[in-house]
Amino acid sequence: MKIDNLGLKIGQKSVNPFKTSRNSTTNPFQNVSFEGNTLECADVFEKFKPKSSSKFKMISASVVGSMNKLRSKFTEPIVNFVNRVRENVSSAWDYAKNTNISDIAGIKNISEAWNNTMNRDVLDIGKDISNSISGIGKNISEKMSFLNTDILDLGKGISDRWSNLISKIHHNKISKDMSVEDLKALWLNEINSAAEREVA
Amino acid sequence: MNKNVAEIIDALAAHQDNASIEVLEELGTNSPDNEVREYTSRALVRKNVHDSLKVVIINQGKGINDLSPAVAMSTINEILALKDKSEVIRILDDTINMHSDESVKENARSVKSLLALS
Repeated sequence: MKIDNLGLKIGQKSVNPFKTSRNSTTNPFQNVSFEGNTLECADVFEKFKPKSSSKFKMISASVVGSMNKLRSKFTEPIVNFVNRVRENVSSAWDYAKNTNISDIAGIKNISEAWNNTMNRDVLDIGKDISNSISGIGKNISEKMSFLNTDILDLGKGISDRWSNLISKIHHNKISKDMSVEDLKALWLNEINSAAEREVA
Repeated sequence: MNKNVAEIIDALAAHQDNASIEVLEELGTNSPDNEVREYTSRALVRKNVHDSLKVVIINQGKGINDLSPAVAMSTINEILALKDKSEVIRILDDTINMHSDESVKENARSVKSLLALS
C-alpha cells in the first residue's frame, strides 16, 4: 500500500473520520456542591487521570470540607466559647488550690488502702526483722561465748607454752650460775650429739 | 667449734668451784678437736690458779706440751697475757726443777724465757 493511494499529500492535516472522544473539559458536575464534603468549585473530574490521582489531594479536599461543615455548626460566638473555657479553667484552679489532696475520693481511697495495708505490713516486717536480728544476735552471742572460751583456752595454752619455752630457754641458758655437774652434763650431751651427727 | 661448747667452757672458766677444772681437763684438754683443746687451755690459764695452770704446764700432751703447735702457742700467748704471773712462774720453776719428762722441762724453760723477755 502506498501513501499516494490514500490521497494524502505532504503538509496536509490528517483528519480521523472515526474520532468519537468527548471534550475533556466537559464536566457535568462542575459548579455543583457536595455539601462540604468536597472542595467547593473543585472540578474533580477535570483532567481526571486515574493513575495519577493524588491521595493527598483527596484528603485535603475532605478536610477542608469538614472544616466548612464545622464552621456552619458554630452557633455561639467565639468570644462566649473562650469565656466559658476560661471560667472552667479558673474554677479548676480554685478547686485544686482549695482542696486537700487527701480529700480527693480516689486519693483518699488509695491513702486508706495504703495505710491499711502497707503500715501493717511494715510493722509486721519490722517486727519480723527485729525478731530475726534478736535471734541472730542471740546466736552470735552464744557463738561468741564459745569463741571467747576457745580463745581464752587458746590464749592460756599459748601463754603456758610460751612461758614454758621462755623458762626452758632461760633454764638452758649456759652461764656460770649453773652447777658444774649440769655444765658437764650439757657438754657430754653436746659431745654425744656431735658423735651422732658424724655417724649419721 | 660448737657455740654451746664454747659457752660451757666459758661458764666453767668463770666458775669458782675446783670441780670445774677437773671437767675442763677431762672433757676439754682430752678432746680430739684442736679448737676445743685450745679454747680449754686458754680458759684454764685465765683462771690463773695453781690447779688450772698445773694442767696446761706439767701434763704431757696438754697446754704448752700439746702436739698441736697452734694449741701450744695459743696457750703460751695466754700465759704471757696474764697480769699476775707469779703462780705461773712458780709452777714453771717447779716443773723445770722436778719434772721427770725432759721435753716438758724444755717447754717450761722456753716459756719462762719468754716471760723474762716480755
